[in-house]
Amino acid sequence: MDRAEVLRRLEEWGARLAKSILELEEPAMEIPARTLSNTVWDERARMLRLGPERIRRRFLDVKEARKFMQTVLMLRLIAEAIREGVYPTIRDLYYNGKHTIIYRDPWGRTHSENTWEEQDESNAVIEDIEVAVNALREEMGVSADVKGKVVGPVVIRSQGYELDASKFGETALSLPVNVDALEIVKVEASYVLVVEKDAIFQRLVRERFWSQEGAVIITAKGMPDRATRRFVRRLSEEFKLPVYVLTDGDPYGWYIYSVYKSGSIKLSYESERLATPGAKFIGLTASDIDEYKISDNYVIAATERDVKRARELLRYPWFQRPEWAREINLFLKRRKKVEIEALSTHGLKFLHDYIRDKIRRGKFID
Amino acid sequence: MYHYEALPAAEWFRRNRELAGFHNPARALYQTVRELVENALDATETYGILPTVYVRIGVVDEQRGWVSVYAEDNGIGIPGGEIPNVLGRVFYSSKYRVRQHRGIFGLGLKMIVLYAQSTTNRPVYVRSATLKSDKIYEYAIMIDTNSNSPAVLHRQEYPNKYKWHGTAIKVCIEGNWHAAKRRIEEYLRRTAIVAPYAEIIFRGPDVSLRLGRRTTKMPPPPEEGLPHPKTVDADMLKQMVRENGSATLLELLAGNFDGVGRETARAFAAWAGLAPDARVSELSQDDLVRLAERMRQYEGWRRPRAVSLSPAGAELLELGARAILGAEAVFAVTRKPESYGGHPFIVEAAVAWGGQIPPAERPLLLRYANKIPLLYDEGVDVARKVADEFSWQNYRVRFPAPLAVIVHVCSTKIPYVSAGKEAIADIPEIEREIRLALRDAAKKLRAYLARREREAELVEKYVSLAKYVDEIAHSLAVVTGASRARLAESLHRLIERKIGMTAEELLRRA
Repeated sequence: MDRAEVLRRLEEWGARLAKSILELEEPAMEIPARTLSNTVWDERARMLRLGPERIRRRFLDVKEARKFMQTVLMLRLIAEAIREGVYPTIRDLYYNGKHTIIYRDPWGRTHSENTWEEQDESNAVIEDIEVAVNALREEMGVSADVKGKVVGPVVIRSQGYELDASKFGETALSLPVNVDALEIVKVEASYVLVVEKDAIFQRLVRERFWSQEGAVIITAKGMPDRATRRFVRRLSEEFKLPVYVLTDGDPYGWYIYSVYKSGSIKLSYESERLATPGAKFIGLTASDIDEYKISDNYVIAATERDVKRARELLRYPWFQRPEWAREINLFLKRRKKVEIEALSTHGLKFLHDYIRDKIRRGKFID
Repeated sequence: MYHYEALPAAEWFRRNRELAGFHNPARALYQTVRELVENALDATETYGILPTVYVRIGVVDEQRGWVSVYAEDNGIGIPGGEIPNVLGRVFYSSKYRVRQHRGIFGLGLKMIVLYAQSTTNRPVYVRSATLKSDKIYEYAIMIDTNSNSPAVLHRQEYPNKYKWHGTAIKVCIEGNWHAAKRRIEEYLRRTAIVAPYAEIIFRGPDVSLRLGRRTTKMPPPPEEGLPHPKTVDADMLKQMVRENGSATLLELLAGNFDGVGRETARAFAAWAGLAPDARVSELSQDDLVRLAERMRQYEGWRRPRAVSLSPAGAELLELGARAILGAEAVFAVTRKPESYGGHPFIVEAAVAWGGQIPPAERPLLLRYANKIPLLYDEGVDVARKVADEFSWQNYRVRFPAPLAVIVHVCSTKIPYVSAGKEAIADIPEIEREIRLALRDAAKKLRAYLARREREAELVEKYVSLAKYVDEIAHSLAVVTGASRARLAESLHRLIERKIGMTAEELLRRA
């Protein structure tokens, strides 16, 4: 979808709202609900999808009025960006729209309120607009910070330049905002290794683990952004490469894996494009503490938040595999977690052995 | 009171200084102002005259702590020949009659003269003219404490060219202005609350206060009434017998008591086993004591009438409290007359809310007895007890609250806790009436607060929507090209429809 079409949809949505206001009908926005209850686990496709629920965001509802205002404000910001031919980031839009509304009421009191406080608020309405007009942020020309980095035997073409991700020495190739604009020229890898943590990524690069394994190593420094997820998905889909995800042994690591694999609750409408259903988990599990004889010095007591998060995972349909049920229950029983770094319990090189062990001997969770 | 007649007045005063409220120079100054203001109001409003009262306090001798107090009213005045006795003879009183007064027998005035005499040894100066009098009389008087009679130091008459009437009194006493200042101001303000028809102008050494007249409506003056038979004592009967020597018991009873006719008198005599036709002059002292006892015990009397009472009235209380307390809303009630031990009484109460009343953990209490503000001994007053025990939470009041409670008890006999006359005693009948009066007033407050809460909710709702109108109208105008002004106007109309009234209506209401 080109930006002109996106603009047409945005204007059409705005016109519907303006029409009901001018005709003195209560203005309401119909927006597919981006909630857990409206996130549907598609068993067959093995990914999260947006369900049929819609919310009605009504201006005359005191609880909704602020969000209504924010949505209309963002609608204007995006429409203006497209009309002016500029490509703002979501942070640009946050700053662009952030100002103080000063309202003097009929009683002479002055009220002041910021259009939004945190970027989370402006990000949320961007996502609402995406689902409401059924156009992706990338299609609107709105970008986000991309955290993704790649190293390995893969050559891409960007704006006419060929970039070989194996020739970055100790640095790495940074992924661009719109991964779909890249051409993946050549891949000579045997698998893709997605690493949760940047520190581990850098170690594997310096230790030339990727070249020994013929692997493409990718990190998004924690919770993955859309571009990184899309790139992983393309490698898996277009080059049939197996994808392994290496995370810490805690509920946050496990959820990050599930985001690469199945999609996220907030962006379930994007799973179709972003999820990599074949991704396999080679991060640490609760039973690995025994399995790999990790010294007590490296084992950390789980916090209340960890426990709460783990219980949530247990309820998610996409965690309903016997392996996950077993591991999460074990975690809840022992209340112990481990970071990837804990593998140094057997020397610094042990990380390499661990990864090979998990992949070669099929000790992953699918 | 009559027991003291034999004592030289100065001696009596020395012994009873505290009783009369002259404990120390601060209290004495406060008491002096209070007595003079109350006499001034009694001399005016009781006779249907709108009171104008000037009070001036000046420093005479700072070293010795001498101050002068001057008070002037536009009342009925004192007849020229009576002035020496009214001011200079202790216990000089008129015939026994009951009626709601601020002071009793003008006793306070004589106390001031005695106090002045004993502290500064200066006379009291009086100038007075009665209604339509051709002359103004001026006196300087002291009290001869040996003979308990007035000593006139100076006397003069002036032609009353402008038909002035009223009384002006000036005394020089030992008094502590700085210690009494706050109380005096408070006393005058509180007086203005129950008497908004009065104009009170006060000047002190470093303060002046002008409490203007808020209305020309005055409550009807109390009528003179007869005492209720349940309130008699032997002394009173003796005096009556002296004045009605030839009367029979029936005639004495039927002619001199409230609500007692020949029927009632006869029924009482039968109940008491007394001969109705006996001459009262033939009754012995013991007989009179027994008669008084029987009269107090008899339950067949009619209830005392309240004609001799003069409540301020709900309307005046509301007006006064609003003006002087700066309250946002005042709700007052005047209860129906009740009685205790043969004394009629009426309770009035007002609750004042918001405005300049500072929020506090318990209600600010303003107490009155026969329109006199009571400033001391609040802790032992029955009104404090009732106000504190009252279930305010049932009336939408949550403390701290900007709440003031005014309780006014008027009666031909106020049951004070002590001779200091600053607190009303815990009489069950009065306590009950105060509670009921508070309940009646608090019900009105509750309705008011409920209405205000609803309006506040609507205002909040209005504001929480209206504040976004311009932002939304602007953004939608940019996206769609529709008129920003028309969008804003429509949004406002949608909000008004939602809250069920226009912004103007809401503005008028809340």
